[in-house]
Amino acid sequence: MSELQKKWAKARLSNSMQAHAYTPTQVMGATAIPVPGTTLQPPVGIPEFNELDEEDEDKFGSLSSIPNHPQDDDSSSASSVSSTGTVIPSPGKALFARPQGVPNRSLDPIPWTTYFERELFLPSADGTITYHVYLTSPAPPATSNTTSPTPGTTPGTKPSTGGPLFVTHHGAGSSALSFAVLGAEIRKRLPSTGILSLDARGHGLTSLTNPNPNPNEPIDLSLPTLSQDLCNAILLTATAMSWPDIPPLILVGHSLGGAVVTELAYQPLLPPSVSLLGYAVLDVVEGSALDALQSMQTYLSTRPQGFNSLKEGIEWHVRSRTIRNSVSARVSVPALLVEQSEPQQQPRSKPWRWRTDLSSTQPFWQGWFIGLSKKFLGQGAKGPGRGAGKMLLLAGTDRLDTELTIGQMQGKYALQVFPEAGHFIHEDLPEKTAVALVDFYRRNDRSALVLPTKVSELLAQGTRV
Amino acid sequence: MSDLDRAIAQLRACRPIPENEVRELCHKARELLIEEGNVVTVNAPVTICGDIHGQFHDLMELFRVGGDVPDTNYLFMGDFVDRGFYSLESFLLLLCLKVRYPDRMTLIRGNHESRQITTVYGFYDECLRKYGSANVWRYCCDVFDYLALGAIVLGASNTLSQPAGSVPVGEDVEIEVCNADQQIISRFLRKGPNGAMGQQQQQPTTNGFSESGSSGPPAPTNTGPPGSGASGASGGSIGNPAGAVLCVHGGLSPLIDNVDKIRLLDRKQEVPHEGAMCDLLWSDPDEIDGWGLSPRGAGFLFGADIVKVFNHRNDLSLIARAHQLVMEGFKEMFDASIVTVWSAPNYCYRCGNVAALLELSEDDSGLGVLARSNGDVNRSDGGMGGQGPRGVLMENDLLGYNRAGPARRYRVFQAAPQDSRGMPAKKPVADYFL
Repeated sequence: MSELQKKWAKARLSNSMQAHAYTPTQVMGATAIPVPGTTLQPPVGIPEFNELDEEDEDKFGSLSSIPNHPQDDDSSSASSVSSTGTVIPSPGKALFARPQGVPNRSLDPIPWTTYFERELFLPSADGTITYHVYLTSPAPPATSNTTSPTPGTTPGTKPSTGGPLFVTHHGAGSSALSFAVLGAEIRKRLPSTGILSLDARGHGLTSLTNPNPNPNEPIDLSLPTLSQDLCNAILLTATAMSWPDIPPLILVGHSLGGAVVTELAYQPLLPPSVSLLGYAVLDVVEGSALDALQSMQTYLSTRPQGFNSLKEGIEWHVRSRTIRNSVSARVSVPALLVEQSEPQQQPRSKPWRWRTDLSSTQPFWQGWFIGLSKKFLGQGAKGPGRGAGKMLLLAGTDRLDTELTIGQMQGKYALQVFPEAGHFIHEDLPEKTAVALVDFYRRNDRSALVLPTKVSELLAQGTRV
Repeated sequence: MSDLDRAIAQLRACRPIPENEVRELCHKARELLIEEGNVVTVNAPVTICGDIHGQFHDLMELFRVGGDVPDTNYLFMGDFVDRGFYSLESFLLLLCLKVRYPDRMTLIRGNHESRQITTVYGFYDECLRKYGSANVWRYCCDVFDYLALGAIVLGASNTLSQPAGSVPVGEDVEIEVCNADQQIISRFLRKGPNGAMGQQQQQPTTNGFSESGSSGPPAPTNTGPPGSGASGASGGSIGNPAGAVLCVHGGLSPLIDNVDKIRLLDRKQEVPHEGAMCDLLWSDPDEIDGWGLSPRGAGFLFGADIVKVFNHRNDLSLIARAHQLVMEGFKEMFDASIVTVWSAPNYCYRCGNVAALLELSEDDSGLGVLARSNGDVNRSDGGMGGQGPRGVLMENDLLGYNRAGPARRYRVFQAAPQDSRGMPAKKPVADYFL
């Protein structure tokens, strides 16, 4: 954003804020105007608009939560907002040259330890798979005023009830770290919350103990298997952490993960004692997903097959606007790539390849999404989703199918639409997504809910009504 | 006011009026609306309509079925904009008609008449597309803030008016359902004073819609004729002069126990995220006991007991509301103490539902005057003399017995044939969806 644009935007903002109590978010545009409630000033700790290209991602991804990454790059533009506004080119600085790479923004990977308290490797009971999860424990009951336990606390020393546990499941080809930034944003607003994020089988660091005897046969990624995996991971985590009870749960799933959490809510997999407050599905709708499947292979064939480095992989995700928030991409993309160790035939072949071969998962695609809308609405649910809250977050309103359009207009679930986000809605807009999820939790937190007395109770008490 | 008439003619042809005319129109409308209370008083006869959602051609069909303005008095219960492709033309036409015939048009606010909602669900984009700037959207949103929150219909008759050339209407007909061609689909009789079930009349004049036999015991399930949506629970209430009808977009609020509390709200603002004003525009009735959490994320769910106590306390015979898509166009619940009216056929051009409007006829017998109420607490006994100590809600009030409802004629209609011109091309499917 140039100096001139900045000045114009500032003037325009202050004008419009005076003239109208509310300024709409520019839909689909690059000139995102802050929505009411958010301050005009960026959060503390972030240099103002410290980027050179026109992308708008850093407004949404706060860097303030990341230690060891000081913003020492405000050599010229960031501090000049307060100056006269005249940009004097320094000698040797090519003012009109295209920025090489992204000079003012680091694209270095961010380690998971920035966002999660611990990682757990949980062997399943039958020994066929070792689940890998990231965990930040929910706060113990209100008796202690400590914040979250620090990594290194020995397990078993703290009670586990109190805060809710957000359990997240990523989409196909993604990983548990897709929810890293979102988790931190949720905990900023609701510090008692725990976050449990699972790598699905075939993704991330979850590993099958017995490698598939037939390497040509794809890993079983069917919906029942994945939802059973998620259920197992929750229960195994509770055992590993010696929680006396499983905390109240909010399930959050993105894309394929949305189908998985819906299945987990719909089927009676979790023990009946588990309290499921609600489930949230991010940017997946049966009708439009099934439509999109036809073009998926075409899309996959246009992706790069590999990268020279992790940094290049991160840069591709940001440049292609697959992930529109560089902080999110820096933490989530490294888990998507794996370095090929075997010697390559071609000397220039790129060593960092996709960890998950999405094309080979095609046999399961239809099964993930068929019946999703009906199950999401909870019709005939046999699992804990019957009385649970339901929320759908979409990037673009046109993606509702007929069943969900009817359901929405009958008031069966909460709908939030973020037109400015891409498919990775929680990575693109972690703050807004976190606000929506925390509101969703607060509404569905039954322990806090107080409703007016029922009339029948008043009558039973003999009150004149 | 030839300018206004010209604007009306232009909008009826589904052509937007120039920006400066919109500004002037919105200014006039605001001057008019600012004089209205939060709860507008409307006299019967009136035709009550639910959500429109920018389906302009279906709005024209509604006027064809229900009668044109100003020959018919209309009360629209909000949600004029969003979702459909002609929010602008639909809302501006209704607003023009309001300014032109203030006493014959009543517009109340729906949850979509809000800045925040319209930026997401289409109206904002539509204004931007059709005018190149958001000015018109701003003018309209300023009008939204002045729309009333509810209306009270007074003087509704407990017998139906008889349209010329139709089958004679008996005194004891409480509900009549007609199709778009004025043909009667079904009629429901009132319950006798002894609480006998209402009977459905055979209609030899109509087609296969007619159904014999009386409806079953009161139940929330749909036992009416196919397509009518008349629920078994609406089998009729005891004949008595009609009380007032409260019209509101969504429903009740735990913070509102009488109509006067609605009158005290400061409505001239964006729809808040919580509180009484939000609830009135967002809540839904549901088959529960008492209050419940709304899955929508705003407002509440409320059960039969809440509606009956509210109606009793405010001398209301019926609450008419919109807000929820009903596949059959209308749905009566809780022993006909509340009805949902939905007026957007084939919602979003794909839901396959029919639409309905509700006609309340004028009471010319003089009987209804007794039951008139301004919504004040215990102002009248509603003509219920001898039914027990009124003012105290008896337990059996909650068990199926209901005070008199006005006679109701529902006209059910389908989507108008769509003119596909001007419809934006469907968005391409997302390229990544795993």
